Amino acid sequence: MQVVKSFEGGLNMKVGIPGGLLYFRYGRLWTSFLQALGAEVVESGETTRSILNSGVSKAENESCLPVKVFYGHVMSLKDRVDALFVPRLVSVKKRTHTCPKMLGLPDMARAATEEEIPIIGPTIDFHSGLWSNYRTVYSTGRIFTTNPWRIIGAGIKAWREHRQYLKGLTLGLTPRGTLEVDESRRLCEGRELRVAVIGHHYNVYDTFTTMSLLDRLKGMGVDVITAEMVPERLRNKELKRLPKTIYWSYEQEIAGAILACAKYKLADGIIFMISFPCGPDSIIRVLCEQENKLMGNIPMMTLVMDEHTGEGGFLTRIEAFVDMLRWKKDRVGESEEVMVPA
Amino acid sequence: MIITWPHMGSLEIIMSSVFEELQIDYMLPPPNSQRTLELGVRYGPEFACFPLKTTLGNFIEAIEKGADTLIMVAGKGPCRFGFYAETQRRILKEAGYEFQMIQLEFEPSKIPVLIRNLRFLKQGRSWISVFRAVKFALQKAVLVDRLEQQALRQRWKDARKGATTTALKDCYEKVRNAGDYAGLRRAEEEAFAHLLSVPNKEAEEIKIGIVGEFYLVLEPFFNLTVEEQLGDLGAFVERNIYLTDWLRPSGENPVGGHSDRESEEAAKPFLTHFVGGEGIHSVGNTVIYKRLGFDGVVHLMPFTCMPETIAKSILPKVSREVGIPVISFVIDEMTGKAGVATRLEAFVDLARFRRRAVDRDPSLRPALA
Repeated sequence: MQVVKSFEGGLNMKVGIPGGLLYFRYGRLWTSFLQALGAEVVESGETTRSILNSGVSKAENESCLPVKVFYGHVMSLKDRVDALFVPRLVSVKKRTHTCPKMLGLPDMARAATEEEIPIIGPTIDFHSGLWSNYRTVYSTGRIFTTNPWRIIGAGIKAWREHRQYLKGLTLGLTPRGTLEVDESRRLCEGRELRVAVIGHHYNVYDTFTTMSLLDRLKGMGVDVITAEMVPERLRNKELKRLPKTIYWSYEQEIAGAILACAKYKLADGIIFMISFPCGPDSIIRVLCEQENKLMGNIPMMTLVMDEHTGEGGFLTRIEAFVDMLRWKKDRVGESEEVMVPA
Repeated sequence: MIITWPHMGSLEIIMSSVFEELQIDYMLPPPNSQRTLELGVRYGPEFACFPLKTTLGNFIEAIEKGADTLIMVAGKGPCRFGFYAETQRRILKEAGYEFQMIQLEFEPSKIPVLIRNLRFLKQGRSWISVFRAVKFALQKAVLVDRLEQQALRQRWKDARKGATTTALKDCYEKVRNAGDYAGLRRAEEEAFAHLLSVPNKEAEEIKIGIVGEFYLVLEPFFNLTVEEQLGDLGAFVERNIYLTDWLRPSGENPVGGHSDRESEEAAKPFLTHFVGGEGIHSVGNTVIYKRLGFDGVVHLMPFTCMPETIAKSILPKVSREVGIPVISFVIDEMTGKAGVATRLEAFVDLARFRRRAVDRDPSLRPALA
């Protein structure tokens, strides 16, 4: 728990939540927690061209695309709010880590804003047990209010909403769909083809950097399943088979989802979304491609995105992939032999 | 069964000493070369970090020469290094090589696996003899580290460029040939005498520190001999990582001088949490170098290294607030020697002018952090 530069806490403080990286997973949790504490939450909203550009110009060249986007969100918020909320998620599950970039995120945000603005950066770490995490959450609450019941109440309320949000994702709603409780935005509705779009949630759900891939697939008449929609039981079962445990929590989800899709043929094809140069994904990719080849060999395409990715090239590849899947599906009845060109 | 392991600085001296003592067959991979790198890049994942590719190249070259048992260290993250062994095993297997990979994992929960692996490697030698061999090899390694440190500290005064480097090579031989503790003590005396006897000249002192990712700091072929280049440019050099310090689990760094805890403490104002690898120490040591009166810091990192990318995004702020010039070198298979040499030259010149200016006018001196 660290709050840089002492600042007056209290009610009605304007707190900014950058809409990048883990926002796509925990945004709901953070917003409702802070709102229940009485803070005014300002979100940076969806990524835009100008956010990306300011992020790219501010961030280190070697950073990965989502981190650059995150920098952009931080930049767009820093003049509008009293404090920024950038938690440090060290570990969200026992014996796993998140990516090192998340471990240094508040410090990077601090370096980027040049300490013009205080950063609320509680450290969540499941290596150290529940009690210290409770204390972290509590002391975050203390910045806003001195009433302990209000903090606990806010925590419970936020957690409930978070569960609701995650449930929405599991049921196949997009993040915005779950927020607006809009059942019509279902990703999976029983169309003729089904493609698994697997990747970090900030790679899959960010409509700008993925150029609304999910909507486009829907427009092509393709059902989409994401890593969240693959049942957790299947994911864990597949992960247990691996000779070495993956120690990144989000990579566990991704690898588990890809392996489960390959094994149980949950989809006609897999699109693995990676942002350049994502560290853990570069390693997991080797593992997934090999295991997929060994098990079922369902068509798998790896899309690597960076800030230079052109829309034309991106679209062409997706269209070609979908056409290929369609072609393959049509041929299934005719002859099994031509199914998989070696 | 012929055992091999990837190159990393003076690691070969430790390992070969252990296996020679135990009389177990081993083989060094061919020295690092452009081919090593090309092989690694061809088979390695596109944006995996640089050391994964180079060590993969080492393995391939060693297998081609007849090795069949590969030793690699594994871990539990959050840095990718812990997953190297598994990834390399998969890649090599897919490429069709015949080998077995022994993954040594030093986690408390993985001790039984570690013991099984070591039993396999020791091939019937007694545990006591293994222990003795390792202990002796570590003594050698400490000596090598101290010799390297001495070389870094005196190279800038060389009357004839390259004399220290040549002397250091002879010293390596002396250490390698030492067969017992008495021999090692003799080698120590001789080696230090030999190094110190290198003729020197008066020169203007300037101190540069090297921080960064351990593989790149330790492996001279792939860091384009930054240490030597700096020394030849007339800089007293100190680096933050020595092999035996890195191997020591306690985080005390008797060779390097300051413990991990100290550098974490120094990094506090800028980076408050461990980020894997050497990220926090790169930041912390930069601050410490400033306190020790250094004139500049060279930061080495492999392309896409996650912890060092974080360090690199924070180092400009450290440089500005603490008042020490920092230059980051991002090294990958595309890095050219001339580009690095030019930048180093300019950096050393800058640090020198800065020191002269500060010496002339103390008001220019930045406040100590």
